[in-house]
Amino acid sequence: MSDRKVIQIGPFHPLLEEPVGFSLTVEGERVVAIEARMDYIHKGLERLAQERTYDMVPILLERICGICSVTHSVCFCNAVEDLLGVEIPPRAAYIRTILGELERLHSHLLWVGLAGHFIGYNTVFMWAWKYREPVCDAFEMLTGHRQNSALPMVGGVRRDLPEEYFPAVRRMLDELEGQTARLTAAVLDDPVLAARLKGVGVLSPAAALDFGVVGPTARASGLATDVRRDEPYAAYAELDWRVILRPEGDVFAKAVVRLLEIPESIGILRQCLDRMPAGPLNLGTLHVPRGEGIGRYEAPRGEDVHYVRSNGTNMPERLKVRAPSFVNIPSFKASCLGAPMADVMITLAACDPCYSCTERAMTLVDGRGAPIAAAPGLLAASRQRTFALARAFGRAPDLDLALD
Amino acid sequence: MDADTFLPALREAFGDRVEAAARSAKRVYVRLDAADLPEVASWLLANLPESRLATSTGIDLRDGVGLFHHFTVNGSPLVVTLKVLLAKPDPRAPSLAALTAAADWIEREIHDLLGVSFDGHPDARRLLKAEAMADVLPLRRDFDPERFEERSGERS
Repeated sequence: MSDRKVIQIGPFHPLLEEPVGFSLTVEGERVVAIEARMDYIHKGLERLAQERTYDMVPILLERICGICSVTHSVCFCNAVEDLLGVEIPPRAAYIRTILGELERLHSHLLWVGLAGHFIGYNTVFMWAWKYREPVCDAFEMLTGHRQNSALPMVGGVRRDLPEEYFPAVRRMLDELEGQTARLTAAVLDDPVLAARLKGVGVLSPAAALDFGVVGPTARASGLATDVRRDEPYAAYAELDWRVILRPEGDVFAKAVVRLLEIPESIGILRQCLDRMPAGPLNLGTLHVPRGEGIGRYEAPRGEDVHYVRSNGTNMPERLKVRAPSFVNIPSFKASCLGAPMADVMITLAACDPCYSCTERAMTLVDGRGAPIAAAPGLLAASRQRTFALARAFGRAPDLDLALD
Repeated sequence: MDADTFLPALREAFGDRVEAAARSAKRVYVRLDAADLPEVASWLLANLPESRLATSTGIDLRDGVGLFHHFTVNGSPLVVTLKVLLAKPDPRAPSLAALTAAADWIEREIHDLLGVSFDGHPDARRLLKAEAMADVLPLRRDFDPERFEERSGERS
């Protein structure tokens, strides 16, 4: 067709936090083909892991992703512990759970902020990121660093959490609960957001299963998958929380799932702080015999899978890392096709893509001619659609709610 | 479903063509011939409710290239791994991309890093590997990073 155009987004663009190239082929306003190019930041981590001892690998794996530091290191430990067939001490299990849920909280808040930014609701962005900061502070109080704790090790954790900071973490949770409840209510009750996001980027349950999507992306399509429930690791078998499911599969449902998971995480953290058992932190140095193990972990973005194969030496013979974004990102082929250009940005963002993890990148391109629109144009289109809806509702274009 | 109910069903369906063992109640490893891969994988996706291809691992072994497909099941701790050994120097396996969309990217990744050719893959272009590495296989044992010279800026 002569009116097909290609729009290139990325790989390096102020809007994208990470390098990825997306090529969108559009016919008028409709997207008819989409393609991702991801070869910009392959770090060769799987090979690097084969040259490090079991004690050093978790430290390396913390650096896979800027968010999921706990995810990858604990997932690796789960895999090696599956190989060894050992149970970690209860205190280590609770410490891993606390770190994992703090990570989930700040990751979900980061996504809510970015999603607001993509559709032109910068109040949501400012709000969510303001609330995220104390979570990172709590992580620093407990571990000494906002991101990389260097705590998880095979057979437990390396150091203890300082209990004198638990009251401060509890206060942070109390404040965060009220703040995120107000944010959630404001987002869910907003008629403009509902009109903007409902029915956009729908991923059907059948397509979700076919692409093998995981985490909130799958749970928003009605698939009951949550590794914390399916194969409880750390302390999850002893804790109470709900798995949040929505049947719709659209961007709004994905936002709802993440927002409602925030209070669940807060609840898990309170239970852990209350019940923190005493006892040893790890099993000491373990010899890893020949064999293979598979570890699973519920990252903020969904199921993380690590496969470890040992030849009896002190370094893994092979480590395979499959981050949740690797299966979540390709689902754009089901959710973006046929969508208007203005919806592409938010649909791509809805699975909370993490390119560092996947590869380890993406861009919108108009097919075979010169680029007709660049990413700033798409972002503007996305925002204009929101503003037009806001005007139709007789509302100010941004959430008219004051920051507290 | 756990290993105890899954294994008899698998053995009944495929008999001697599969060599299955449970490492624990939640981990099952199945050895099979590469040619049987699409049939066993499609049986598995149809008979394990809400099962999906979680990922695949490629590994360079002494006797060939190992290709392990890991299937997980929503709502269950069970992980079923289908293991095939592909002969070097030209490892080939049938593609699972027609069975499940989840196989698309992971097969491209294994093709990038280990040089496995997937017969029937609809779009076997380079996915993750840097352009400058287009003609090396970084996860093969004979790849020596020390002796690798990057040809940056050259198109492949």
